[in-house]
Amino acid sequence: MRKILFQNRNTIAAFVIISLIIVASCNLFAITLSHTSFVTGTVLLICLLMLAGYQLRKKLSILLIGKTSAWLQFHIFLGLLTSVLFMLHIKMQIPDGLFEFVLFLNYLTVFFSGVAGWILSRRIPHRLLSRGEEVIFERIPLHRRNIHEKVKSLVRESNTSEKAAIPDFYEEHLRTFFEGPRNQLRHILHSERHRHELSQKITALKPFLNPQELAVLQQLTEQIQLKDDLDYQYVFQAIIKLWPFVHVPLTYSLIIFALYHTLAVCAFASTSG
Amino acid sequence: MTDEMVESLLKAPPFSKIDPSGFKRSLPLRDILKNDVRIIGFDEGDIIVRRGDWGNSAFFILSGNMRVELERKQTSLPDEILGRRTSRVKTFWESLTQLWHNNTEPEVREIAAVSSSKATFHSRNTHGGTRIYLQEVSAVLDKYRTARLEPGQWFGEVAALGRTSRVATVFSEGVSQLLEIRWQGIRDILRYDKEGSLKQYIEDVFRERALSAFLRTDPLFQACQPELMQRIVEQVEFHTFGNYDSHQPFKQLLEDQNHKTDGREPVIIREGDYPSGIVMIRSGLARISQRHYNGQRTIGYLSPGQIFGLDEIQAEVKGLTPVACNAQLSAIGHLNAVLVPTALVEEILVQNSQSKSSDSQKKKKNVRPTGSQSVKLNDDILLSQLVDRHYVQGTSLMVIDLDRCTRCDDCVRACATTHDNNPRFIRHGPILNQYMIPNSCLHCVDPICMIECPTGAIFRDLAQGDIIINEQTCIGCAQCASNCPFNAIRMVDIRDAKGALIVDSQTQAPLTQATKCDLCIDQRGGPACERACPHDALFRVDMHDATKVEEAFSP
Repeated sequence: MRKILFQNRNTIAAFVIISLIIVASCNLFAITLSHTSFVTGTVLLICLLMLAGYQLRKKLSILLIGKTSAWLQFHIFLGLLTSVLFMLHIKMQIPDGLFEFVLFLNYLTVFFSGVAGWILSRRIPHRLLSRGEEVIFERIPLHRRNIHEKVKSLVRESNTSEKAAIPDFYEEHLRTFFEGPRNQLRHILHSERHRHELSQKITALKPFLNPQELAVLQQLTEQIQLKDDLDYQYVFQAIIKLWPFVHVPLTYSLIIFALYHTLAVCAFASTSG
Repeated sequence: MTDEMVESLLKAPPFSKIDPSGFKRSLPLRDILKNDVRIIGFDEGDIIVRRGDWGNSAFFILSGNMRVELERKQTSLPDEILGRRTSRVKTFWESLTQLWHNNTEPEVREIAAVSSSKATFHSRNTHGGTRIYLQEVSAVLDKYRTARLEPGQWFGEVAALGRTSRVATVFSEGVSQLLEIRWQGIRDILRYDKEGSLKQYIEDVFRERALSAFLRTDPLFQACQPELMQRIVEQVEFHTFGNYDSHQPFKQLLEDQNHKTDGREPVIIREGDYPSGIVMIRSGLARISQRHYNGQRTIGYLSPGQIFGLDEIQAEVKGLTPVACNAQLSAIGHLNAVLVPTALVEEILVQNSQSKSSDSQKKKKNVRPTGSQSVKLNDDILLSQLVDRHYVQGTSLMVIDLDRCTRCDDCVRACATTHDNNPRFIRHGPILNQYMIPNSCLHCVDPICMIECPTGAIFRDLAQGDIIINEQTCIGCAQCASNCPFNAIRMVDIRDAKGALIVDSQTQAPLTQATKCDLCIDQRGGPACERACPHDALFRVDMHDATKVEEAFSP
């Protein structure tokens, strides 16, 4: 039960067999000189409605209608299967009509956003676990503010003379870093360049500090590490939380376009040659 | 208790039979009676203890008669008249209508439910407190099988000392007067009474009423001949380890980041010692550890009903030479155990092997071949953390595998939808390896939250074993919340259907009630959080089921 869908060889085999059956059925149906697009289109629309049903299942968590994990596995399976149906439906050609082209693009964005979400949901949990403290997403701004307040108080404490090194260093290199989420793209790309740069700047500053300032700098370094870890958690949690806001609205628009497309086809086209 | 009352108690049995000279000067018998004992009166039908409740006091009948319920299951007194919440699973339609019937405000209660005006049980204010009572005692006596307890008899002492649930419901037949003694008082009397009459009485009662049935819960004793079982019952030794108030030091321990407990745990059997018998756990939990450099490494733990030392005795029977224990057994918190002497265990093994050879295939299923049946994990560090943090108490421990969890919070939302728009857990907690243990009720095997509940509102559902709170009888005293070492019980302000806070009619203070995870006892299909997780990251583990623990925590 705990196995992910495509870790299961049987599921892959089922996908391949069903895909082959769909392709074979389509070819057989074509022998009758009927328009296969009508059949593939109808099946595709039913599949799209079933895929959208997963969102409804999530809302009805109190009902005994199967575990959400089972629904998700079915959702992924069916989603991938629609790509076979879609290719058969468009006969491997890019549509030339404007509306059909928009529909084509809409499907592709829904499909690829779904695949992206599937991959992200497998990759991001592991990355979140690998670095930083586990923090609830909504509380990250609060933690960030607390770190910033602590840094500011450390800087204030070390501001004993007119030309204090630490306050100057803070103003020049750290203020923007602590003010909000930073280096998102670098975190996504797993780059630690920004930390190396800051680390080099800190090392370069050390010869000019007295022992008390060195102690403060050490504490600042710890806060830099904490803040950077928090940024890392923030960016990955944000990606996984925001991803459905791309996939779900696109799905709804796809269903609306597909229904309009079906109505238009039914009104203006015949079902057989 | 006044000095006059103490004087009169000391002149009458059972205290007149106790030799006061054995007691310490700083803690004489007189002071124990003064501080740990009270006399309480009951009217006809008043319920004194209920089957399944946890209690920390025993009772001695001074005057009047008590009735103890004898039946179990179907024919026992129904939960409704005992003031218990009856668990009813919602229908499909009721579950569905929750979607639009749920109030927008959290924790909305029906005023009638809080004020008990619609309750099926009867309660009254009498003898300085609110009591639940049976309305027509004569009808109850006609309908249900009961036995009479008369003046001079004790009851409730086994549950109080063993920290186990009450095994029967007791109610007053007519007007009666009882002496209630806290467990601390019984413990001190047992310790300093030279004659040991009370200790003997308690042990005899347990031997007579429950020991045989308790031993037969283990496959080793199931095929035991009646004559041998009789001798075992007579010769078994009772042992208690650890501090009864162990949850209090544990709460402090949680604040200590080092989590060093094993050094302070009382040792039951040391590694390298020759076992004088097998130890069978009655209540509490025990740690199995082995020497590792200069410390102890946890390799397993035992739950109630599990045994230790059988491997060594089996090896001794086979090799005919004594075999020393290769691990140490120590008590985690408060523990009650029975020790079955080696000679008797050897007899059982011989008897089982004979019956096995005569009917090998059939008996193979009944007699466990080897092992102390402990819960073990391949990852020693993870196991040690689970034991040190007392998560092994859980019969339904919520675990989130962070390697799979996308932090989507669907579990929290599902919990809120099921429970008055207020989730009963927080998706935050300690992380052990890749497993997060969220802030949620564990449904402990030893539920200390239940010990001091004045109305018995928090109770273990006898059918399913879950710890649940009865909203009708919860008075919001917060005793359970302060006792829970995992901070899994939260006090919430309750509201009426319009969303306004329900306040006390006299003080105008907002009324609060305790809330916690109830494993969605009234929902079809069990916990909503578990069913709502799209990645199977959230699951629950019974920490006393060795197979499930191993399966759950295998990477």
